[in-house]
Amino acid sequence: MIALYLVAAIAVFAAIRATVEKNTGRKLPYVNVMNFAVAGAIVLLLDHPLALVAAAAYFVGSTLEANAIASTYAGGERRG
Amino acid sequence: MLGQLLHILAAAIVSWILFVTVDVFFRLPEAGGVSGASAIARDIEAGGGALSGGTMMGNIVCSPDASAGTLLAACGVYVAGIPGGLVAAALVFIGNRICHDPGYAGTTGAVLATFVVYGFTQVGFAATDFIAGMVIAILTIQGLSHAHASRLLARLWRVRQ
Repeated sequence: MIALYLVAAIAVFAAIRATVEKNTGRKLPYVNVMNFAVAGAIVLLLDHPLALVAAAAYFVGSTLEANAIASTYAGGERRG
Repeated sequence: MLGQLLHILAAAIVSWILFVTVDVFFRLPEAGGVSGASAIARDIEAGGGALSGGTMMGNIVCSPDASAGTLLAACGVYVAGIPGGLVAAALVFIGNRICHDPGYAGTTGAVLATFVVYGFTQVGFAATDFIAGMVIAILTIQGLSHAHASRLLARLWRVRQ
């Protein structure tokens, strides 16, 4: 139980820091911490084998979003 | 209560060492896997950090690396033992491919973490300790001070070189 509260507190902390940070490049690592915490909380809340799939789907999806935001922020993918 | 907190703290230290070692071994601080990772590295450097450490942090943001592998492996071991951890490794592998990441740091980290977490569950630890521990470990890198974390990672990267 204490693990769940700890993870939830870190998620809130990271979300607040991501909101306060103005620079997009430095904001994304905070969002990353929040994603870790939320993925962990999903499994801690739902002790079921499919909770792993839900957590992985959430985590990979949110990482892909962060990847897309960061690459757009960088000016898109440079080819060649 | 205090005993469990100490277990979580110990799990955080083990997870930290595991994922930083695997990430540095797989040369994450060397170059940004996607342009976004390099942009994050430049912003961290502009904020007083080190470029190579920032590059590793950018790579962690942009694709599931060994830290994500450790977290999901701990989740897998919690819900279904060693098979769960290996399923998590397969999901991380798929995640890497989706995120345009050519590396294998995430998959390797997940497989290693599966056995590490399972080993610790045999000596009194709970897999949940490692879920919370890994979240604390990533907090120390990505969520407290980017400047200090990137300088520490850059120092470890110089040792690796």
